[in-house]
Amino acid sequence: MTDRLVTTAVAPAPEQRRASTLVQTLLRSEWPWMLYLAFVVLLVVFSFASPWFLSIDNFLNIGRQTTLVSIAAIGMTFVIIAGQIDLSVASTLALSGMAAALAMSHLANFWFVGALAGLGTGALVGLINGTLTTRLAIPSFLVTLGTLSAARGLAMMVTDTKPVIITNERYFRIFGEGNLFGLPAPIAWTLAATIGGVLLLHYNIFGRRIYAAGGNPTAALYSGIQIKRVTTWAFVLTGALAGLAALILSARSHAARPDVVQGMELDVIASVILGGCSLFGGRGFILGTLLGSLIIGTLNNGLVLLGVSSPMQLIIKGAIIVAAVAFTKR
Amino acid sequence: MIPPHVDRTASSGAPLVRVAGMTKSFGGVKALRGVSLEVKAGEVHALLGENGAGKSTLIKILSGVHSFDSGAIEIDGAPATFNNPAESRNAGIAVVYQDLSLVESLSVGANLMLNREPTTRFGFLKKRELMAEAEDFIKQHNIPLDPRATVGSLPFAYRQMTEICKALMGRVRVLILDEPTSALSSDEEQILFDAVDTVVRQNVGVIYVTHRLNEVFRISNRVTVLRDGANVGTFNTSETDMRTLVAAIVGPKLAKAEAKEPREDERPDGAATSSSKRELLALSGIVNDRLRGVDLSLMDGEIHGLAGLIGSGRTEILETIFALRPIEGGELRLDGAAQHMRGPAEAIEKGVALVPEDRQAQGLVLDHSIERNFSLPRLPHFSWASWVRHGAETEETVAAINRLSIKAPGPSTRVRNLSGGNQQKVVFAKWNNERTRILLLDEPTVGVDVGAREEIYGLIRDAARSGAGVLIVSSDLHELILLCGRISIVVDGRVTATLRRDEFGDAEHLHELIQMSQREQGQAA
Repeated sequence: MTDRLVTTAVAPAPEQRRASTLVQTLLRSEWPWMLYLAFVVLLVVFSFASPWFLSIDNFLNIGRQTTLVSIAAIGMTFVIIAGQIDLSVASTLALSGMAAALAMSHLANFWFVGALAGLGTGALVGLINGTLTTRLAIPSFLVTLGTLSAARGLAMMVTDTKPVIITNERYFRIFGEGNLFGLPAPIAWTLAATIGGVLLLHYNIFGRRIYAAGGNPTAALYSGIQIKRVTTWAFVLTGALAGLAALILSARSHAARPDVVQGMELDVIASVILGGCSLFGGRGFILGTLLGSLIIGTLNNGLVLLGVSSPMQLIIKGAIIVAAVAFTKR
Repeated sequence: MIPPHVDRTASSGAPLVRVAGMTKSFGGVKALRGVSLEVKAGEVHALLGENGAGKSTLIKILSGVHSFDSGAIEIDGAPATFNNPAESRNAGIAVVYQDLSLVESLSVGANLMLNREPTTRFGFLKKRELMAEAEDFIKQHNIPLDPRATVGSLPFAYRQMTEICKALMGRVRVLILDEPTSALSSDEEQILFDAVDTVVRQNVGVIYVTHRLNEVFRISNRVTVLRDGANVGTFNTSETDMRTLVAAIVGPKLAKAEAKEPREDERPDGAATSSSKRELLALSGIVNDRLRGVDLSLMDGEIHGLAGLIGSGRTEILETIFALRPIEGGELRLDGAAQHMRGPAEAIEKGVALVPEDRQAQGLVLDHSIERNFSLPRLPHFSWASWVRHGAETEETVAAINRLSIKAPGPSTRVRNLSGGNQQKVVFAKWNNERTRILLLDEPTVGVDVGAREEIYGLIRDAARSGAGVLIVSSDLHELILLCGRISIVVDGRVTATLRRDEFGDAEHLHELIQMSQREQGQAA
């Protein structure tokens, strides 16, 4: 019995309807056009403000710097649409990097051994997050707050906080420094994760189940969706993508360190929300997330080029994130 | 056309509230096109109309939620405008909405006194005085409520009563009740009506919005019917009848089709059904946290009713069959084979479908499209190797929209933007396919307007005709009698009797039977 009801009950004149549909698509569609506008404005402002900003090299630079956040945010999109949150991504990333490096230095120095160890460790942390959340019915905010701390602790404990050197050239090329399909490896992996995410979320029934589980868990249950299983898989996916990000980071720095990317989960969550996901679940899309992370990356890059001091950068970034979300949330 | 029957008999001076020539548009769509309404002191004025007729808009204008485009509101003869709900409340207009606004973790007394708590000089709560004040108020209004009870633990009717009580705190001239009985059983209804009586005797005017016509005759003095945002007429209740009102609500075109009694062949004959057909579902001695030994059987092509009070275990029987509740004892057989289903997914696999009581909370993902809601229970069917076949999905959704005559711009319309009746049809559409063999319905027509209700009855009969067994829970006894071949009475987690059509008779008789079973169970315990 809402007002909108009245609109459906009484049909407006056709031309009126067409005009209002257009306005509605712009304002209410799942694609937040304001976000694209914000990105364009940001690009224009930085282009005028800094002579170094508008160049292919700088954009590749932004892409490389944003890789870690972008990849982790694609996983986070699944978790947030499922109505959950994962605070542990940064710690999972650190732990996965350690696992990959240790596997190559102690087990066998092949690139795929490191890759498997990194992805597997990430997925395992995700499995633990998902299982605790769904089987013990603990809110994921608390579960992942726990693993945020525990995974970081474990990463530091395995080598007594010392970094682990990686010596596998192949590994560096595949994940860090080489080119894949003509693109710098980190950007190629971001693209791969994006395409995979789009397919899985928007074209696979797994995605449909994720949306339903977050949109209305009760209705999903009553429709025969196994919410616990679906939600757990979302966490596993996020963990595995954090693992992929760990491979890229460790390949770039030729070593794994247990104290990397502290606090990155905030940028990751901000990207997802900026990209149009609802924190309450059931709404959002992958390309929005990618754009969200690029906005944050561009902001970081542009502010550095303008010579803004790093405390001031944090303040500006915070203000812009809140403002952008306020604008995109009609 | 029906001649508007303007009341000239009752003459207690100026009306409490007068709405005249009210118009309101939302983005070019006219919701109200000149509506008038008068409410007098001490009268219950029923407001009728289909979903989208303008009742809600009118009420939201009266309560200060919406502004109006033209027209006038007068309170005691003086013109008034409300810019926000607080101004309307200060003028003495109190609204009890469908969805309740109580703090469940607090007591009835604390809820009543919310924001007007007696405190000491230092701001500490005077608990005893608070309770005493609340208790006085409740006694004064003769409402059967315990101020110490926690709201969350109360049955729905008592929560609603608390809500009404809360609305009455402070100066009230006009009380607006928006579909107050949509979730009440017949006994709880009586409690609510008594409370309304008490209120009316204190010279408050009541505006009573409802979809249930028999309530209009039980409780109201006058009726105003709206259609497409305009007045159809105002009637003295004692001088009108059901047929006239239905005709006024649905309009001249549809009136004939809607008001007719069901034909003989539309009433499934229970006796014939149960002897000649196969048993689809059998429960014997089912025990769990809420059920205490349920025996029940359902034949193919049968429409079987479950009658009983709210909290009797009616809903829980459906939930148990749908494997939402674990079975601790007894046996559930489908087609003669014993089942141990671990969740709704397995139940759906076996052809069981549930249309739950609360379509917004349990039946639909409101923010998603019709299409997505429609395909949700059968995602594997709409996919190839787990990849969604979007074409097939859209095609079948459009077909279902046409088949069930769901009023919507298209398959991608968000379910939230549909009316109650159309939302319910979407829930039906989810299960309206050849795989559904056992259809469980929990209050299938609550909050659904007259026209859509008839269409839903048609869907239920069609399902039975095509061989599905239908088990239907309803607080509306007329509805059960209209549809069912057999009716089982549920009391306190048990089926106490299963009656055939010639045994349950009319609504009054059925009501008596339920009351009797209730009493017998009480004595046995």
